[in-house]
Amino acid sequence: MDLLGDHEENLAERLSKMVIENELEDPAIMRAVQTRPVLQPQPGSLNSSIWDGSEVLRRIRGPLLAQEMPTVSVLEYALPQRPPQGPEDDRDLSERALPRRSTSPVIGSPPVRAVPIGTPPKQMAIPSFSQQILCPKPVHVRPPMPPRYPAPYGERMSPNQLCSVPNSSLLGHPFAPSVPPVLSPLQRAQLLGGAQLQPGRMSPSQFARVPGFVGSPLAAVNPKLLQGRVGQMLPPAPGFRAFFSGPPPTTPPSQPRPPGPGPPLQTLRSQAPMFRADTTHLHPQHRRLLHQRQQQSRNQHRSLNGAGDRGSHRCSQQDHLRKDPYANLMLQREKDWVSKIQMMQLQSTDPYLDDFYYQNYFEKLEKLSAAEEMQGDGPKKERTKLITPQVAKLEQAYKPVQFEGSLGKLTVSSVNNPRKMIDAVVPSRGEDDETKEKQVRDKRRKTLVIIEKTYSLLLDVEDYERRYLLSLEEERPALLDERKHKVCGMYDNLRAKLPGQDRPSDDHFVQIMCIRKGKRMVARILPFLSTEQAADILLTTARNLPFLIKKDSQDEVLPCLLRPFSVLLYHLPPVTVTGLLQQLMNLPQSAAAPAPCNPHLTAVLQNKFGLSLLFTLLSRVEDLQSSEPLTESSQSAQWTEVMFMATRELLRIPQAALAKPVSIPTNLVSLFSRYVDQQKLNLLETKLQLVQGIR
Amino acid sequence: MNYMPGTASLIEDIDMGIKLRTFHFRGRHSATELNPRPEKHLVLLRDGRTLIGFLRSIDQFANLVLHQTVERIHVGKKYGDIPRGIFVVRGENVVLLGEIDLEKESDTPLQQVSIEEILEEQRVEQQTKLEAEKLKVQALKDRGLSIPRADTLDEY
Repeated sequence: MDLLGDHEENLAERLSKMVIENELEDPAIMRAVQTRPVLQPQPGSLNSSIWDGSEVLRRIRGPLLAQEMPTVSVLEYALPQRPPQGPEDDRDLSERALPRRSTSPVIGSPPVRAVPIGTPPKQMAIPSFSQQILCPKPVHVRPPMPPRYPAPYGERMSPNQLCSVPNSSLLGHPFAPSVPPVLSPLQRAQLLGGAQLQPGRMSPSQFARVPGFVGSPLAAVNPKLLQGRVGQMLPPAPGFRAFFSGPPPTTPPSQPRPPGPGPPLQTLRSQAPMFRADTTHLHPQHRRLLHQRQQQSRNQHRSLNGAGDRGSHRCSQQDHLRKDPYANLMLQREKDWVSKIQMMQLQSTDPYLDDFYYQNYFEKLEKLSAAEEMQGDGPKKERTKLITPQVAKLEQAYKPVQFEGSLGKLTVSSVNNPRKMIDAVVPSRGEDDETKEKQVRDKRRKTLVIIEKTYSLLLDVEDYERRYLLSLEEERPALLDERKHKVCGMYDNLRAKLPGQDRPSDDHFVQIMCIRKGKRMVARILPFLSTEQAADILLTTARNLPFLIKKDSQDEVLPCLLRPFSVLLYHLPPVTVTGLLQQLMNLPQSAAAPAPCNPHLTAVLQNKFGLSLLFTLLSRVEDLQSSEPLTESSQSAQWTEVMFMATRELLRIPQAALAKPVSIPTNLVSLFSRYVDQQKLNLLETKLQLVQGIR
Repeated sequence: MNYMPGTASLIEDIDMGIKLRTFHFRGRHSATELNPRPEKHLVLLRDGRTLIGFLRSIDQFANLVLHQTVERIHVGKKYGDIPRGIFVVRGENVVLLGEIDLEKESDTPLQQVSIEEILEEQRVEQQTKLEAEKLKVQALKDRGLSIPRADTLDEY
């Protein structure tokens, strides 16, 4: 007798009456017609209405159960009750996922486990535990399932097409949901843990779904993995897909592809290595390549070990593991996961931007070794190379976070969208407050800023050649334009035109040249400028040379300009050369004028750069003269005048004060011989040490 | 031979004692070709301790799990080993970590002594250092200078 005084046997009866299974039997309903309920066992439709009779539910379960029953083995004791699922296992599971542990995004910690990592497995088969993952005993292998997926799914479908086929999963799904081989509780827990994660998370279980880990050590696998495998790997997150897949797919996946539950991990191993199940949907070409690569890695692995055959290798590995019960505490996939994180640091969309010196250095080394190889026919030296992940360009557009159900746009502050934290007010300076020193300082600072800006332009321009080679045909004109624009920009920076002047003043340029970095920069810019622009620069330099020499006394960087200047000289027309000579030597306009002492020339001659430049210039003059014997009379008259003045000046300078030039061109003797008599020629020779023997 | 950076290349060492040098042993029976033991690693910690053990697990922060660890104290040409068991080291305290070549391990000019002896030596060494330091600080103080101690500095 229970509390209410009812008999217990009647209780069951009454309870069953309360729950009316069939609506038709309900006395309260006046009229009911039995129609066939529209059965749509949609994926995930187990959220069917509560008003559905249990018949419908049973019917939904029915067909599925019929297929699933034989496979739900007794060994699933460690699992919580999983209702039989439709084809979309993955989506289903994620709906039922346990509340997620709050971990950091994307990278996060290893997945939640029912059993902590490192727990020694309960079963005796400890050494073969890892082996099991790799090649499980196919106890409950079923014949291939009738495909639950759309049939037109031939081999010829490319991976890109696969992305857009609904209900597709890139891993071999014909085998996916139906073959749970014997799993230990630990393995089950791991599978569960893997299944719970969101698509955006990386985890060892997801990582390990990469096909191709056929028990090879990491060394063999990872290069394959990282060097752009052709094989199909389920990308755990959109951002990382490029990391794994070789040819970057053109269309990003339209739906997020969460990983299915674990069984594929095992099923892949159960396939014979010859013909991998998950590659059936690949293009035959792909498959062949994949196969080849596998062979290669296997051979590599074999040769690495030096062992005779695979069989002995296997059993000796087992021996090894048997002796060391603490081995393999880290699963292969955990190891891969950690190394993946390490490799992520090396990912770069533009290695030349991120790692310029490293790239250049190794390129140089390679060239050297290639050159050596060409010379001698020695064996190719294996240089150890750093394995870097090959990554296609990741999506770069920043999309601000959007909230559902909010009115209006909420701004979330993040790395891409920082929020102003401090209201710092910069007090503006009044013009009258500035002292002279401040002005000077500011001017210098402005010059420094201009140098920096011009330098960035220069680096870009220097990089154009490489970009040009890498770019496509259509992009090239645009690149050329850009380059031209930048070169002009650089020139404008150097020779700034102040408003109100028809001729740009030298002052700006001189300021730049006073700074060491400026001089080096000018030397690098010169090759990119047009001849006129470069000539202009050269003239300005020559004009202001004494001042620059004085300023350069500490740095002594002027000689770096010699080379570009000499290259330029050979392109200059005679007129310019004459003008240049005049500027350089500060020659008076007419020969008749009395020659005062010439500090300009003295300064030039006393400086290494100046003297070398002068010599180069004179050598050029000589070249011009000798190459053009029939010049116009006016021109030649001009020449003669200039040369006469030049020689006069040179004779006047005391020898002791002369600097040591970089190099003395050989044709100066012949040059001077045209304009001076023998005695003076000898004097000049000795003074300028033009003849080899004298020095 | 291509290599991977950072902890990634160490991960291979954890369980696989199989190395290229097995090439030399071609003549022998295949079972003994393979090195039956995992790699021993030497870890230097930030506080100056040296640990030697079998690396069992590693993660992205270089947190380490060392098995059958031995703390090795070096004083002069002598060293002593203190067996410690299992160590779990937090990654930020690791200075460097390297693999020990088992063949070369026995090749050292160093002399192994007992634990008590090495601890005694260490104590003596510490004492002499302290005294020298004290003298130095005193000398500087007399001249009006002071050198801040490294452990009181917060900046690196």
